[in-house]
Amino acid sequence: MSTDPQSPGRVVLDVNGVGKSFPGVRALSDVTMRVHSGEVVAFVGENGAGKSTLLKILCGDYQLDDGEVQIDGIVASHASPLEARNAGFRLVRQEPEIVPDLSVAENIFIGEYPTTGFGRVSFDAMRNQTQELLERYGFATMIDVNTLGGALSPAQMHIVEIIRALKPGVKVIAFDEPTSSLTSRETEALFALIGILKREGLGVIYVSHRLHEIMEIADRVLVVKDGVPTGDLAIGDTDEEGIVRLMVGRELEHGVQRTETTRDDVVLEVKNLSSRWHRDISFQIRAGEILGFGGLVGAGRTELAKVLFGEYPKSGGEVRISGETKLIRRPADAIAANIGFAPENRKSEGLILVRSVLENASMAVFNKLSRLGVLHGQQMRATVEPYIHQLEIKTPSLDQDVGKLSGGNQQKVVLARWLAAGPKLLILDEPTRAVDVGAKAEIYRLIDELAKQGLAIMLISSEMPELLSMSDRIMVMRDGEIIGPIEKADATEELIVGHAIGGAAA
Amino acid sequence: MTAPTTNLQDTTGSNSMTQSPEGFLQRTFRAVGAENLSLIIALIVIVAIIASQTEYFFTARNLLNIGQNMAVVGLIAVGMTMVIVSQGLDISVGSIAGCSSVVCALVVVEFGTVPGGLAAGMAIGMVLGLVNATIITMLRVNPVVATLATFSAFRGVAFLIAPGGRPVGVLDQNLAWLGSGRFFQTEAFPGVPVSFVILVFVAIAGHFVMRSTVFGRSTYSMGGNPAAARLAGINLTKMKYIIYSISGALSGLAGVIVTARTSSGQPASGTQGLELEAITAVFLGGALLAGGKGTVVGTMLAVVLLATLSNGMNLLGIATFYQLVAKGLLLVLAVAIGQWRMARAEKAQAKLTAQGKA
Repeated sequence: MSTDPQSPGRVVLDVNGVGKSFPGVRALSDVTMRVHSGEVVAFVGENGAGKSTLLKILCGDYQLDDGEVQIDGIVASHASPLEARNAGFRLVRQEPEIVPDLSVAENIFIGEYPTTGFGRVSFDAMRNQTQELLERYGFATMIDVNTLGGALSPAQMHIVEIIRALKPGVKVIAFDEPTSSLTSRETEALFALIGILKREGLGVIYVSHRLHEIMEIADRVLVVKDGVPTGDLAIGDTDEEGIVRLMVGRELEHGVQRTETTRDDVVLEVKNLSSRWHRDISFQIRAGEILGFGGLVGAGRTELAKVLFGEYPKSGGEVRISGETKLIRRPADAIAANIGFAPENRKSEGLILVRSVLENASMAVFNKLSRLGVLHGQQMRATVEPYIHQLEIKTPSLDQDVGKLSGGNQQKVVLARWLAAGPKLLILDEPTRAVDVGAKAEIYRLIDELAKQGLAIMLISSEMPELLSMSDRIMVMRDGEIIGPIEKADATEELIVGHAIGGAAA
Repeated sequence: MTAPTTNLQDTTGSNSMTQSPEGFLQRTFRAVGAENLSLIIALIVIVAIIASQTEYFFTARNLLNIGQNMAVVGLIAVGMTMVIVSQGLDISVGSIAGCSSVVCALVVVEFGTVPGGLAAGMAIGMVLGLVNATIITMLRVNPVVATLATFSAFRGVAFLIAPGGRPVGVLDQNLAWLGSGRFFQTEAFPGVPVSFVILVFVAIAGHFVMRSTVFGRSTYSMGGNPAAARLAGINLTKMKYIIYSISGALSGLAGVIVTARTSSGQPASGTQGLELEAITAVFLGGALLAGGKGTVVGTMLAVVLLATLSNGMNLLGIATFYQLVAKGLLLVLAVAIGQWRMARAEKAQAKLTAQGKA
């Protein structure tokens, strides 16, 4: 395991022309990269660029469609998770799996407990080996081998996950966003650890959005965009702006030419809103305006939508709809205040898959369609039908189960529900996720049309081209705070990505 | 989109809903539904088998007996349909019926009022249903565990309120009429049992509530996907209180019928095992364990089927022990069919997604 600390040694990970498709999406194509012994290679890219897919292929969670992977000279293209692990590839996951009722030592050795004769677990051997590993990698002062998993801080859990990965046989270790739950002192310890790993001759993959960390720790950087590598550079040959430039720059294939439809009247006014996830959020959306919300996954955008909609509580601040202060404690209050919300995950939060199009589209307005609690069937159909036609929802009948429709049509049923409720403000969280290209274009056209009719639209999107082409103004969220608004004319992908990751471009 | 046999058959674009002309048979099939149709076929097969073995089956007396025997479990099954559709479960229904049976008998003995006894029986059922709902919503105990606990506790309460833990004898003509009275009784015709008529009314009301009211439709929504239902403005806590109190009240009514039939308030006898039969009927009737599916009509067909089966086994002299085994097998079968149906639907959806069609 020991090579000359300065010069990178043999190739420990060889990825050659790897590609992977999911239904309707080309997630990765033709990715080629090498990691040498004693080298730190950083992966960067926007949300959904393909970083996670590549890591999942390497650790055996996904199977690649084409190309080849070699771990330390052994072909591991179609390895199972166990085979990949035994070959020497170890992934430190962003959210470690920790068993709360087991000690640190047991958590580290889970699945491969050292035993004495007769299959009895040797707790002493386990504790001693854990202690050795902790000392060797410089974590001995931060964590005790006997602490129970449930009592660990997020950073300590991360240490457990790292030590798990460093058990004998490791050749390549990959860190997926390792510093997101660490303090600066812990980050320093992590960097010191990476230094040790380099000296021991491991190959290190470092996935992060934090470009300044990458500049500090990496030897090389691989930039991916939409599943395609756009750059593989020595760190000395580039800078943060250079990396951002490689991450961005795309055209929207089926875009909509938005016409300016913003009117004067303010529909939504949020003043100094705070919650568990947010600090001091203020913004306005006018009638006919589409206000885009960009940012990294986990920055607090979905949570903001849910706070506004009454699903999550706010701890301070004020929300006004058309100038009137509204107290929104639950979704029913939000609906009464003329807010509609199409959640990001339509299957788990948006739709009742086992019920009909008619029920799904009318459920937010059951009360309006009934007298003394009895629903008026004719009126239900009459209310829903125009929207089914307007949105061109393809269904054999109103009585079809929503679960039997395609993704794009399902999303339109969610839209139909809120249109039937006659909202002034429509919150759309990733409206084109898991929707195919053709249906995307239709949904863009609909959103544009709704803005023309005077709705205020809050559009949360992680797809940069979508955000840039659809929004009249853009807010960027980072760690529960808000930056902006950026006017359409000034909005560039570089600027938004810069704000979102807090790099030098900000 | 080239597969006209799939559910995404529309290709015209301009008119998004296709109205294909269909024949009488197809229309009937759609109105009845595939699940109900298979129940009807199963019922016909069972009837044919039983009738081929014993002539007595097709006598008016026997058929009306079946009607009378299914009233108690049928009433409970109507409430159970609502509970299971909402993604819940109520194991305590038999114990609630036991409490109500005793309370009803005590009230009739003490105050001599049958309507009072009926009201008290249903009221105590509703209160116990509210206890269930409170445990489920406020203490956040899973419905299976919550009602398994009250299954035991309420049975204990039934014995505690019965003086000396014994059945409470109640000799009242009017009360007995509820249990074993008959409409249109003549010398030639044994008459339609009063308790069966009560069940028919309750089932029709239950069907209407589930099909045509905001409450009923909200029950389907919350059972199909609680998170989505909440985001569409449905108050899940309030819904659970209403659902479990209805289930309790109907179990209470079933307890009153037991009192009326046996002329005594029974803490245990006559109400034990009702939960199993009612739950089996609901699943057999097409409800899904995952919630969101199930109809009162389907449940009632299943109740008829179960009552016929039980009657047939008695007529054919099959020992009770075999009947217990058969009941258990039926519950497994009913849920397994539901799971299979769901897996098939999921497969169809996965195929659709893979095709990536809009």
